[in-house]
Amino acid sequence: MAKIKSKKTVVKTKKIIKKKIAPKKRRLKVSNPILDIAPKKDIAREQEVAIGTAKFSHAKVMFTQDLSRQELPSLYDRDMMALVVRDPWWLYTYWEVKDSTWDKFKAELKDEFYKARKILRVYDVSNIIFNGSNANNFFDLGIREDASNWYIDIGAPGKSWCVEFGLLLRDGRFITILRSNVVETPIDGPSWITDEEWMIPDEMFSRLYGMGFGLGKSSPTGGVWRKGIVSSPGIASMASPVKKKAPRSFWLEVNCELIVYGATEPDAKVTVQNKPVALRRDGTFTLRFALPDGKQVIPVKARSKDNLDERSITPIVNRETK
Amino acid sequence: MHKGYLCLVLHGHLPYVRHPEHENFLEEDWLYEAITETYIPLILAFERLVNDKIDFRITMTLSPSLISMLSDQLLEDRYLKHINQLIELARKEKERTRWQPEFQNLASMYLNEFSLARDTFLRYNRNLVNAFKKFQDLGKLEIITCGATHGYFPLMDVCKESVRAQVKVAAAHYESVFGRRPRGIWLPECGYHPGHDEILKEAGIRYFFTDSHGILHGKPRPKYGVFAPVYCKGTGVACVARDLESSKQVWSSIEGYPGDYNYREFYRDIGFDLEYDYIKPYIHPDGVRINTGIKYYRITGPGNNKEPYMPQIARNTAADHAGNFMFNRQKQVSYLYEFLGKKPLIVSPYDAELFGHWWYEGPSWLEFLIRKIAFDQDELSLTTVPEYLEENPRNQVVTPSMSSWGWKGYSEMWLQGSNDWIYKHLHVASSRMTELVKKHPDVNGVMKRALNQALRELLLAQSSDWGFILGTGTHTEYAIRRTKDHLLRFNRLYEDIKGDSIDQNWLGDIEYKDNIFPNIDYKVHQ
Repeated sequence: MAKIKSKKTVVKTKKIIKKKIAPKKRRLKVSNPILDIAPKKDIAREQEVAIGTAKFSHAKVMFTQDLSRQELPSLYDRDMMALVVRDPWWLYTYWEVKDSTWDKFKAELKDEFYKARKILRVYDVSNIIFNGSNANNFFDLGIREDASNWYIDIGAPGKSWCVEFGLLLRDGRFITILRSNVVETPIDGPSWITDEEWMIPDEMFSRLYGMGFGLGKSSPTGGVWRKGIVSSPGIASMASPVKKKAPRSFWLEVNCELIVYGATEPDAKVTVQNKPVALRRDGTFTLRFALPDGKQVIPVKARSKDNLDERSITPIVNRETK
Repeated sequence: MHKGYLCLVLHGHLPYVRHPEHENFLEEDWLYEAITETYIPLILAFERLVNDKIDFRITMTLSPSLISMLSDQLLEDRYLKHINQLIELARKEKERTRWQPEFQNLASMYLNEFSLARDTFLRYNRNLVNAFKKFQDLGKLEIITCGATHGYFPLMDVCKESVRAQVKVAAAHYESVFGRRPRGIWLPECGYHPGHDEILKEAGIRYFFTDSHGILHGKPRPKYGVFAPVYCKGTGVACVARDLESSKQVWSSIEGYPGDYNYREFYRDIGFDLEYDYIKPYIHPDGVRINTGIKYYRITGPGNNKEPYMPQIARNTAADHAGNFMFNRQKQVSYLYEFLGKKPLIVSPYDAELFGHWWYEGPSWLEFLIRKIAFDQDELSLTTVPEYLEENPRNQVVTPSMSSWGWKGYSEMWLQGSNDWIYKHLHVASSRMTELVKKHPDVNGVMKRALNQALRELLLAQSSDWGFILGTGTHTEYAIRRTKDHLLRFNRLYEDIKGDSIDQNWLGDIEYKDNIFPNIDYKVHQ
């Protein structure tokens, strides 16, 4: 004879104290580039950060596991100096001087070497082929003694630059140790050059030849381009709306779930609220429900395989929230 | 009357994340989430459009690293496991929410979506590149390439050999997958540096995209602003620039769509919301809570109180937004048509992964937009750059300006206090690679394997994604580790190749771990 061996309902009320995930408030934020130029950069940055974490959403729980812990060499034992453009106003340079080169300068300069200051000499080499002495202009930058890279505020878009790392001796002589490559900063507005050149790629022209076409009407592009637009994209590759940081506030959230579990003969048929339930091999079953406020009537019925026996138990659960 | 063209560009890219040495690797989820939430919804939208015989044109980057992951058997197997887990969780959710119909409906919705994702994945033989290729072959999709591993080119200008390798490896990979050379490229992060068009030309690439100021600040001044392509001076490679107005339309605080209160809230996921023991099998095996993809709430409003998501209302909102976007483009082309005296080309590029993954309703919005453009108006038509050039071959010759679509429009996102240290190492590795190629112009056997692997490691280290994550300043461990590990492997290969003492076991091990681009040819790095 089949019987229900055990019958229990357990009501668990679990406080779900959530991990403080990113604040939930979200707002789109691409500022109007024409109206506010200063604050937009921060917004754009905030946006990129939010975006990055959205696309690379799991980076925060990285486990380094057995990834190597090796470090990169800090020096490569070579003389090198590289100059790159960050934007129309800033350059970045890094350099390395190998020991033997230092030794050479120490030997040449003797005492003077130790009294000299390490500096960067920044040359404006626009429209020339720089030979070390024909720059349009230059300025010196004092740097930290141990520096091996530097951001250079040149503040002059649309020019060519070359940087030297060297020693400024007490008598004012400059000894070049390293010279960088030459770079050109982009202009930060529309070009003054308005001469137009037009072309049709050869293969296309041959098809068009004889069909005839006219020159377009001339119109200034100044009206299309508006200052400010260009420095405000704020939409990087992971661009998407930024979520605004909510002000810090203490919080609590509580939810309830109900676990209904029981057991019967393994080959019996069980329904809970008239829906069939899959039994485990030993005849036990567990159901889990989100429990909203109010009354839940939960008829549990079991019927033996041969359909001769039937048992029914109906827990009734009330949830109230104050 | 037809007055202008719209070129929609979806830039699909994820960094190469594949760790056969670990059973579970969290960062691989980036791919699995994008498959379920972005790539499959886009594919299903394209299928419906084709079935309904709607003509459309979309340009889409599939970065070589993304293609490589989508076609990787290990990752395919793991995705199947991942989606099966999600289906199981959605089933449990359907039962658990029995007394909350507003949530149970959503659990059913997710169960359907996940099941459909699995079916679609299997239908394309587990390789979604097959699906995208199908739409390209049908003439609806113009697939463009990208840097091989999404290296940021402007900061590689001091070692152009690496830019060349990024482009040539990408073009060769594209050809092996799609059976023809790529016509266009999405420069990683839209980062252009004058002169790089020469490298594109060498690789047979005919057009690329820049941000607006790439053309607006070009020399000489572009007559039609961003509303017509230009040819790069000296190479004739076409350059088309992003239209900021249509970009803002989607993302701005005023008209921006994805923040609409009816849309799904990205930040409320049951991976964080539900009771720990229950959700544990579906989060990280170490018990760290992560997003599962099941999200029950709509944005609701500016506060923390969130109401249940209502799919039909969200869908209607997406349709409204598509109508609004189209209306604004119609106004824009009408105005420009008068102003310029010719039909403008509006280029609207977006990150593909934002459609679906971040903006859940994004793929629906796109589908509505395409349908509306086809049926509701005749001023605007969708186009691709090659089609446009075919009709409008005569364009101005300009040298575009250095630019990117990153923060502040140049290189600062990838070059700031938190990530500038990587460039010295990357540049030294580039020059070492060039040195190796010079020294070994033609080798075979183990030496060739080592040189090819050296180039793989270098390319993997160059992904702009690492610099980007470092630049955001949070959760940077993985990005640091990847940068260092690839460079360390490269450096060891460099020493071993120079000393002619290659450890074959170790080489085999890193070939197995960093298996991207099986047919790579190290000689492109010169």
